[in-house]
Amino acid sequence: MSGRRDRFPGFDVLGQSRHWDPVTAGVVTARTGPPAPLKFFVGAERACASAVLNLLAGQVDEPRIPVLEMVDARLAAGETDGWRYADLPEDGQAWRDTLAYLDGDADARCGTTFAAAPEKDQAALLQSVLDGGDWHGLPAAHVWSLWTRYACTALYAHPSAWDEIGFPGPAYPRGYKNTGVGRLESFEVPDARPAEDPVVEDA
Amino acid sequence: MPGVRSRNESAWLLPNDGTRTNHRLRRDMRRFADSDEIDLVIVGCGAGGSVLAQRLARAGWRVAALDAGPFWDPDADWVSDEAGSHGLYWTEPRVIAGADPVPLGSNNSGRGVGGSMVHYAGYTPRFHPSDFTTRSSDGVGADWPLRYADLRPYYAAIEQELPVAGEHWPWGDPHGYPHRPHPVGGNGEIFLRGARELGITAKVGPVAITNGRFGNRPHCIYRGFCLQGCKVNAKASPLITHIPDALAHGAEVRADAMVTRVAIDSRTGRALGVYYVQGGRERFQRAAMVAVAGYSIETPRLLLNSACDRFPDGLCNDFDQVGRYLMVQGAPQTAGRFDAEVRMYKAPPPEVSTEEFYETDPGKDYKRGFAIQTVSPLPITWAEHVVAQGHWGRALREYMSDYVHWSCLGALCEFLPLPENRVTLADEKDGHGLPVARFEYSQCDNDRALMRAAQAVMENILRAAGADEVITIQRYAHLVGGARMAKQKEYGVVDGNCRSFAVPNLYITDGSVLPTQGSANPALTIMAVAARAADRLAAGARGAG
Repeated sequence: MSGRRDRFPGFDVLGQSRHWDPVTAGVVTARTGPPAPLKFFVGAERACASAVLNLLAGQVDEPRIPVLEMVDARLAAGETDGWRYADLPEDGQAWRDTLAYLDGDADARCGTTFAAAPEKDQAALLQSVLDGGDWHGLPAAHVWSLWTRYACTALYAHPSAWDEIGFPGPAYPRGYKNTGVGRLESFEVPDARPAEDPVVEDA
Repeated sequence: MPGVRSRNESAWLLPNDGTRTNHRLRRDMRRFADSDEIDLVIVGCGAGGSVLAQRLARAGWRVAALDAGPFWDPDADWVSDEAGSHGLYWTEPRVIAGADPVPLGSNNSGRGVGGSMVHYAGYTPRFHPSDFTTRSSDGVGADWPLRYADLRPYYAAIEQELPVAGEHWPWGDPHGYPHRPHPVGGNGEIFLRGARELGITAKVGPVAITNGRFGNRPHCIYRGFCLQGCKVNAKASPLITHIPDALAHGAEVRADAMVTRVAIDSRTGRALGVYYVQGGRERFQRAAMVAVAGYSIETPRLLLNSACDRFPDGLCNDFDQVGRYLMVQGAPQTAGRFDAEVRMYKAPPPEVSTEEFYETDPGKDYKRGFAIQTVSPLPITWAEHVVAQGHWGRALREYMSDYVHWSCLGALCEFLPLPENRVTLADEKDGHGLPVARFEYSQCDNDRALMRAAQAVMENILRAAGADEVITIQRYAHLVGGARMAKQKEYGVVDGNCRSFAVPNLYITDGSVLPTQGSANPALTIMAVAARAADRLAAGARGAG
């Protein structure tokens, strides 16, 4: 279905970890170990959060990156972005509230929880939040911002996600020597299909 | 650069063995007792507080600078990683509101010794002479109680101390830089190419990143993680440009010390010192003079949280000026797609700028202007750009796989100072039981017109360089104002020397005193204003206020 995995054939960020400073290497490789058990999400929230985050992260069929666990760990530690919208509760409560609303919406639409709903219905429910306006008394755009900030921060903190976008990750103390358009380091892999703008192609 | 070392030895006080912190200097640091009435206690060790500490320690003052965050060690504390740099940002609770709420945290709010300059990109342009008189010249904004000429020598001095690298600068007051411009990476190359096609002048710089050794600071390694704290010691922040020299001259830096209140003597109306929390204990540092340098959110919050009998509505707030006229710059970022690989993550994000659109153009229907600079978002931040186009799920992953093909420019639009854009206290409390800041922001028509104009110019540059697709995300950058300087006490919180109108021995020496912001990144100006205030203080009687 998707070709994103083979745009940078053989590119393996973790394979370069011996070139990273030890503090950074510790932080990054810890993300690739077995994820910690969930601490923040409880009960029905777990299945719902898992479904939402894997949908947002585009990995319903193949959840290789532990986005759920990474988001859970952040929320359990209270690691916010340092602000919240005045019209949303604090982040943890906002996550709990919005997951409950999604389950309610799924029940009204399909008679199931959000996690048990067919993917096309799940997607339609998420899309209706993106499309904006008021959602259960909350500004939908701010809810979307909350969900996607947490999802994307987890997803693109993971070396597997860097593999598929050609980004080499940590760069200390090695740095870069070949900067400039079209110039690669020996450890970078060129895009195998450079002329394909993926979204234009999908459109 | 003859002369720099004789007035600021910081770069020579750092180790030259490949490590980044002079632990001995910190271990042997002078330490004052809470009961000592020191000459000056400074709240916040960022751009303004650190310069003030260094200058006055050199002048022989007994100075302690308190910071709510850690005394960073780049080797042990910082990582070459986006998500892992979360600790660099001020992430205590804050509430954002208004028609155009402005995200804080990683966007504009630092934590720990070095302040927001630890994670700023590194751009250090000067303000233009016109920035100081926009009310009388352009009919918008405010006039400063000082002029460009008053800051000029301080700009030049700080540029040498950071030091700044760049081409000869043709805009504003034309000037050169102490370090030669850096070579550009893919993103800078695209900007220069597009600008050349359109006849727009663009220049490499000005960035506070060493190009060549400077003291014991090494050359930049073009790692691209400037916004995550420079592990190389190449990018300037006060942690390495002013704090080492301050320590060597007897200043104390007291880290992990959150100031909760400025104490005022109800009989004399003078500041007595500051209450602070360290290690879970409330303490009180006596001082003959207090300088608040907590930046545009925490400085007004501290003043408001320091309400007392004499100042029932907040310290220095007799005229309802505290927290007002807080500004951010409109900072739309426009990216362009190229079949060639740009790989914008290689080389520092700050590379190339144009200030050709900086001032009022009589042919336009808006006042003042904008600057355009390279920005080079790393993957998490780039994902925000893609999400802003409405992509999520599989489409997001597909679009992200195209990362190496994108070039990204950012504008800084001079949003106008408006009284309603302000910090107040929220009902919510932080871990110390103190009300948190609530920051309201709403744009005016001129602000929106600038954003549109800047986006159009960026799209043109990228298309002229060969982009076949362009996308834009609406963002904000920087904070200034919130306790502005003015000629008269009815219109501001401090005078042109950063001395508060209401309390004779209370100063504010950070970005919150700026009455306007131009289209320039504010760090250099914040430092220059603090350096000037320090000069005035050093010339007068210490503690006299």
